[in-house]
Amino acid sequence: MIKIENLTFKYRNSKKNALENIDLIIEDGDFVGIIGKGGAGKSTLTYAINGIIPHHYQGDYYGSVKIDGDDTFDKNPSELSLKIGSVLQDIDSQMVSSVVEDEILYGLENFAIPKDEVEQRLSSSLKELGISSLRYRTIESLSGGQKQKVAIAAILALRPKVLLLDEPTSELDPKSSVQIFQLLRELNKKHGITIIVVEQKIMLLSEFAEKLAVMSEGKIVLNGKVRDVMKHSSELESIGINCPRVVTLSNRLIDRGVDIGKVCINLDEAEVMARGLIHG
Amino acid sequence: MKGFLDYVPGNSFLHKLNPLTKLVLALMICVACFISENHILLVAIILLNLAIAKAAGILSRGLMLLKGLTKISLVIFLLQLLFIRGGDVLITLPLNLLITERGVAMAFVIVLRLIGATMPLALMLSITQMNDLSNVLVTKLKIPYKYAFTLTTAMRFIPIFANEMSGIIEAQASRGVELDTRNIFKKIKFVLPLCVPLLITSVKKIEGSAISAEIRGFHLRTRESCYKGYPIRKSDVGVMFFSAFLVFSAIIISGV
Repeated sequence: MIKIENLTFKYRNSKKNALENIDLIIEDGDFVGIIGKGGAGKSTLTYAINGIIPHHYQGDYYGSVKIDGDDTFDKNPSELSLKIGSVLQDIDSQMVSSVVEDEILYGLENFAIPKDEVEQRLSSSLKELGISSLRYRTIESLSGGQKQKVAIAAILALRPKVLLLDEPTSELDPKSSVQIFQLLRELNKKHGITIIVVEQKIMLLSEFAEKLAVMSEGKIVLNGKVRDVMKHSSELESIGINCPRVVTLSNRLIDRGVDIGKVCINLDEAEVMARGLIHG
Repeated sequence: MKGFLDYVPGNSFLHKLNPLTKLVLALMICVACFISENHILLVAIILLNLAIAKAAGILSRGLMLLKGLTKISLVIFLLQLLFIRGGDVLITLPLNLLITERGVAMAFVIVLRLIGATMPLALMLSITQMNDLSNVLVTKLKIPYKYAFTLTTAMRFIPIFANEMSGIIEAQASRGVELDTRNIFKKIKFVLPLCVPLLITSVKKIEGSAISAEIRGFHLRTRESCYKGYPIRKSDVGVMFFSAFLVFSAIIISGV
């Protein structure tokens, strides 16, 4: 369980708090999406979870982040990485090797995974992302999307308890983006891995995530089950997040007193709603 | 000479050698160059470098290196020609400058040495994966991983920065900066300010790389962590003997 209590953080040499009074609990097995417009503090929040803050970036730090009861203040990011696997936003700088195979091996070697297990983990993580054919390619020759998949595979091979991803689909085409989220859902459902994903594409989050934390100016302004958060579509719009059209539509209908039961968060639900309304 | 350190994949005899052997061979060729003052031997070493490049299937890169180094060497040659004096005076120039017999001989030696000793390291890096090199440094030479990682990361970043720089240059050129001017002073005036964005992106990238290593257990790594084995095979022993032979013959021929 990840428990963030009253966390406030200000980068050194910065005038504004990057995070302000963050309270967030992420249970084991959750699938949480973090959304907010640029500069809202999403990446900073991920740094606070994986220990980069306060160990790498220093500044004014108040409050606490606890991973299964351990304060991130007392453990360095390497120790935390045994539990939390992170995929960074800037994929290029995430690569530490020049060949895909070595990139995946890097973490496995550091974690001292038994040698007879390494090959199996390596090939299965490549397979899960559908990039087995890239194994011996040089990183430089890959496209942005392929690199993103390699970065995820490298973390997946470490079999973390929590997977923390910062905009994992920023370089991907719509189809691959959906594939990544399908994979995340599978990891979440089958292996019980907790997923925390920062994402701008609200469509993907509303479809795949279970909970949503909405950030604005360093604060968490809305937090809860996706459907509950989606009820506040006008608030979301006011902080610069465009809700999916079906959400806006169903919220408007509810506002005008049309009885449709619940907010629709995807196309399938909207279809059911529309049919219900038509057939009375 | 863009990309002259990038790894070129291949399956040649040289690619398959132990990274340590390749390092030893490259260093011993350098040593042989520095021991020798014999022109013929130095030319032979340069030819050997080209032969190595050919054997590794990177002859074009070898020739590209040779061409680049020759250009630099021309300047050095001229300077050495004027600064080293000894033996008979061949030509007297104005301003009390002399070209002497020894000056010519030594200028040739220095230039050939520079070419002969620079090529093998660049060639070695072209056919060796950085990770393999760092693993061997850690497991065989017992260098602390921190330093090996620093070294290989620095090497890996050279092409990344080169790309970054060409990106910045293209961005400026597309906004009308005349970077393709032939006037060298003008060019310097245009390119120098571009070092600032390069520096900023570089620092950012290096920081990202450090973070990325940290969150993948950098501090947990031990010497035993390395997964791949790097055995020393018969071919490695052979090449090592050949390296020793090179240095030995340089000593004999130069009569040191």
